[in-house]
Amino acid sequence: MSEDAVLVEEKAELESSESTQQERTWQPIILGILCNWCSYAGADLAGTSRLQYPESIRIIRVPCSGRVDPAFVLKAFRKGFDGVMVLGCHPGDCHYAKGNYYARRRITLLQDLLKALGLPEERFHFEWVSASEGNRFAELVQEFTEKIRRLGPFKGVVTPEKKTL
Amino acid sequence: MADKILPKDKIPGFIDALQKQFVVVAPVERTDAPAEFKEVAPGDNLILDGSQMMMPPKDYLLPRYETLLKVSARPGEVEVQPVVPENKPRVMLGMWLPDAQAIQVLDRVFLDGKFKDPYYAARRENTTLVAVMPAEMRWSWFCASTDDVEKWKPNVDAIMYDLGDRFYIEVTSPKGEAVVEWDGLSAPSSDDVENKNRLWEQFKSHNVLPFSDGKFYERLAWDHPIWAEIAQKCIGCGVCSYMCPSCSCFDIQDEVCGTCIERYRCRDTCQFEEFTLMGSGHNPRPDQLPRSRQRLMHKFKYQHEQYGVVGCTGCGRCVELCPVNVDIRDVLNKVCAEREPEPTT
Amino acid sequence: MFEVENKIRQEAKRVLENGLVELVIGWAPGSVPFRTTPVFIDRPEDVDKLVWNPVCANNLAVYLPKIAKDRKVGIVAKPCDIRSIVALIQENQVKRDNIYIIGLGCAGVVDPSRLELAGVRLSDVTALDWAADGIKVITLNGEQLLKSTDVHRDMCLACTKREPALFDVKFGEAVLPSEVKPRELPELPEERQKYWSEQFSKCIRCYACRQICPNCYCEVCFADRVEPKWTAKKAVPEENWMFHATRAMHLAGRCIQCGECERVCPVGIRIAELMREMAEAVKNKYDYEAGDPNEEAPLLGTFRENDVDPAQHS
Repeated sequence: MSEDAVLVEEKAELESSESTQQERTWQPIILGILCNWCSYAGADLAGTSRLQYPESIRIIRVPCSGRVDPAFVLKAFRKGFDGVMVLGCHPGDCHYAKGNYYARRRITLLQDLLKALGLPEERFHFEWVSASEGNRFAELVQEFTEKIRRLGPFKGVVTPEKKTL
Repeated sequence: MADKILPKDKIPGFIDALQKQFVVVAPVERTDAPAEFKEVAPGDNLILDGSQMMMPPKDYLLPRYETLLKVSARPGEVEVQPVVPENKPRVMLGMWLPDAQAIQVLDRVFLDGKFKDPYYAARRENTTLVAVMPAEMRWSWFCASTDDVEKWKPNVDAIMYDLGDRFYIEVTSPKGEAVVEWDGLSAPSSDDVENKNRLWEQFKSHNVLPFSDGKFYERLAWDHPIWAEIAQKCIGCGVCSYMCPSCSCFDIQDEVCGTCIERYRCRDTCQFEEFTLMGSGHNPRPDQLPRSRQRLMHKFKYQHEQYGVVGCTGCGRCVELCPVNVDIRDVLNKVCAEREPEPTT
Repeated sequence: MFEVENKIRQEAKRVLENGLVELVIGWAPGSVPFRTTPVFIDRPEDVDKLVWNPVCANNLAVYLPKIAKDRKVGIVAKPCDIRSIVALIQENQVKRDNIYIIGLGCAGVVDPSRLELAGVRLSDVTALDWAADGIKVITLNGEQLLKSTDVHRDMCLACTKREPALFDVKFGEAVLPSEVKPRELPELPEERQKYWSEQFSKCIRCYACRQICPNCYCEVCFADRVEPKWTAKKAVPEENWMFHATRAMHLAGRCIQCGECERVCPVGIRIAELMREMAEAVKNKYDYEAGDPNEEAPLLGTFRENDVDPAQHS
């Protein structure tokens, strides 16, 4: 099964368990796309330091934030993720020297696109996280999860009355 | 068969009466877009006079997207569920006459022969077709060039002629009688009959083009230089075939979603590269030339050989909408002018 | 109009005769007087097929990547078409040396469906021409003067770049619109989402927008890929959203605003409205305009260290 299908299945399972057990509170599902050299290492550090952060995030490791095709984010929303985070090395720190600079332009335009399409921009979060910022990573995930929890479940890329699936 | 008059101000009453017996399907107005055939719901604005570009009625009979079956799998349990639409009595109103004739072509593909398509049949078999003859012929129509239109009449169940403030409903088959049962309809006057006949004559003589000699399908040649000429400007989009009332090609795909599978049918067209792309990577129609040729040869020659009906009914949608103005009327005129008929194989 | 048309023909004849180009791409009369069709001329004696009038809509640059790969080609081009050519040159899809541009000053192009809305019977039309303050439509029943704002394409009503930015020879005068048509996108996010849900739900996935776009030259489009599958083939609102959103992203900073996508859409999706919105964001944030010959590299193929930073915390 493709990675995508697994993620969607997880979401479906979570949703069905939600509907069967009304008492259980809704948990947001967040996609994190993390650069291997800084942000993923930062997440690792958070783990090895035994820092607590919400299990709402599903992490995909990419070689560089420059690898992040904006279509990854669009597809995540299309598939119904409640929030998407893209994290990369700080400007100047890229393992490949300038991958994150290219990413920066793309992500900026992606934010503009989400705005033009009327999607809730708050559900997309972009941030620089270095390998030493384990603490900061945990905080970011915590904050973003709280924000998404306040926003509630994502209702889809098209308005409910146009939904087919 | 008793023809009737429907004054235009009585249309809502007429629709209400039909809805007591039938599911009524008609072109529903949309924002910035051609009207689309839908099951009529309260509040819908219907466009029944055929005066505007509309989506082809095949969008209802052979939807752009249709679930064929669903599979759900749980541990130790696999359930396969076909999703066949309900076979209900339906009336389809407001389609252009060439569109109604195009349904004949679809019927040959989906109802004739060894296999009957249950999905198409469920929507089609119990459906009464009521075509419309607009007050003014569209500039792009060339119906009378493609066929003897007199033969089309029995293929629909009734025809509504737009006579300005009223429709003249001509019943053309026994099935059509049910449409004119409502007591709000009146009998036509002799003036009405005359106006209706005039409209029909206008239709019969509208855009009869040079290629039209009743044998043009024998003149279409595989190796004509015109195919290269079209292919050079054709951009390979699907407007002509997706908007065509008789193009019927589809694709079937399976979509996996966690523990379920959906098998669906959606549109496809010979104009796309992937249409003939093999799993091996080989493509028997590798560029635009064979693709452009295929669409026209299929409509005007192969379908005639196979089913005895011409695959194009002259509705003119591709003429109006082609982004690069490839006008199939011109193409046929050119191809047929230069060739002697070839014996059919 | 006829003066410019003659000049185009003479120039096409000249460059074909002296071997400067092997082929000239231009517009020929369409099958009806209110349409034109692309034409590919390789013999000097055929140049009289070329026309120039308010229905020369097609952006002919769409043919260049395939046709001008290894030969010299002349092209008759409006200012927007020229911006496409510039973008193709910047993205290494064609070589400047292979293209001979016959540039035209533009006064805006007519949308034939608007003629119908303005009360013109299309079957009566015999010719169209630009007039001092609008469009002159010649019909079987005489002449009719229509206001530009009533019959021009939306993209033309919003266009102020009506002088060719790059050319080998230039004919015709540019006429600027009296006022620029504002965008119609609603402000509130919820309303925008509703707007696009309505628009995209109409899509039949004929891909005319993609095929007509000079900048959509990918060998295999993401929408046609099976593995990975970016978007399913079925025309449902969600998948249509995925197609249009991803396409808009791929064209961000690259779309030169010719409006061809919107012109060819058989169901009237306001694609160009989205493209305009994105182009404005690009202009505001990077002071960059796609198709400007003064730009050195494609927007997303380069960066500056002091670019706008989208990170929310830093």
